[in-house]
Amino acid sequence: MAAVEAEGFTIKAGMKNSKVKSPPKAGAFKERPAKPTSFRKFYDRGDFPIALEHDTKGNKIAWKVEIEKLDYHHYLPLFFDGMCETTHPYEFFARQGVHDMLEHGGSKILPVIPQLIIPIKNALHTRNPRVICTTLKVLQHLVVSAEMVGEAMVPYYRQILPILNIYKNKNLNIGDGIDYSQQQGRG
Amino acid sequence: MSEIVGKKLAARPSLWNEDVEEAYRFQLAGYRDETEYLTVNSGNAVDRWPHNNYVKKLQRKDGRFYYFSRARECLEKDLPKVKLYND
Repeated sequence: MAAVEAEGFTIKAGMKNSKVKSPPKAGAFKERPAKPTSFRKFYDRGDFPIALEHDTKGNKIAWKVEIEKLDYHHYLPLFFDGMCETTHPYEFFARQGVHDMLEHGGSKILPVIPQLIIPIKNALHTRNPRVICTTLKVLQHLVVSAEMVGEAMVPYYRQILPILNIYKNKNLNIGDGIDYSQQQGRG
Repeated sequence: MSEIVGKKLAARPSLWNEDVEEAYRFQLAGYRDETEYLTVNSGNAVDRWPHNNYVKKLQRKDGRFYYFSRARECLEKDLPKVKLYND
C-alpha cells in the first residue's frame, strides 16, 4: 500500500500507511525587514547637524555643530534608530554618528539610556546578521562610553538578551566575508 | 622636494609613530600641521585626549568639525597620504 503524506496531528496522520510531514519552519532566523526609520526621514530632510559629503575622508563625519553642544536626548536616539539601515549613505552616517556621539558624550549619555532601548531592540529584531553585528559593536562602545552606563543597561536585559540567545550558538565562520572590525586600529 | 612657506616636505613615512598620527589628523582636516592650525584659528588651543595627547577635535577651514578617536586612526594604508615637514 502506498504511503499517504499527512499533516501532523490530523486523523489521516493516525492511519497505518500515513507518512507524517515535518512541521513547518518556525522562522526564528528569518529576516524581518525594518520599517522606514525616522533617521532616514531626518537625514533626507537635512535635519542633522552633519555635512552630507559624499567623499568622506577617512570615514569621518564633518559636524556642523560641536558634538558637546548637541541635545543628546534628541539626537542620540535618532542616530540609534538608523542602525536598522543597510543602505548607503544612511548606514554609514548612522553608525559613525553613534560612535562619534558615544566617544564624545561623557556624562550626557547616561540619562538617555532609556530612550536607546527601543532602537536597539528594533535593530536586533531585524534578524539581519549585518545589522546585528553593527548593534553589538555599538553596545560594546555604549557600555564603556561613560561611568555607570553598563549598570544602567541591566533593567533592559529582558529586551536585549532574547535575540542574543537565539544567535549565541551561531558560530559558523563567515566564509569569504570580511570582518572589517578586525582591521588594525578600528574599534 | 617641495617647499611650502618656509617648511620643507621631509618625507612620506613608511612606518607609523605618534608624529605620523599627529600629522595625519591635521592633514585630514585640511591643515599642514599644528602651527598652521593655530595661525588660521587665531591661537585657539587644539583639543586633545588627556591620556595620550592625541588630537581630539579640529575645526576645518569651512567651520565644520572633525572628531578623532582616542586610539590610532592612521592605518597602514593611510601612511602614503601623510606628509611630514621639517621646520
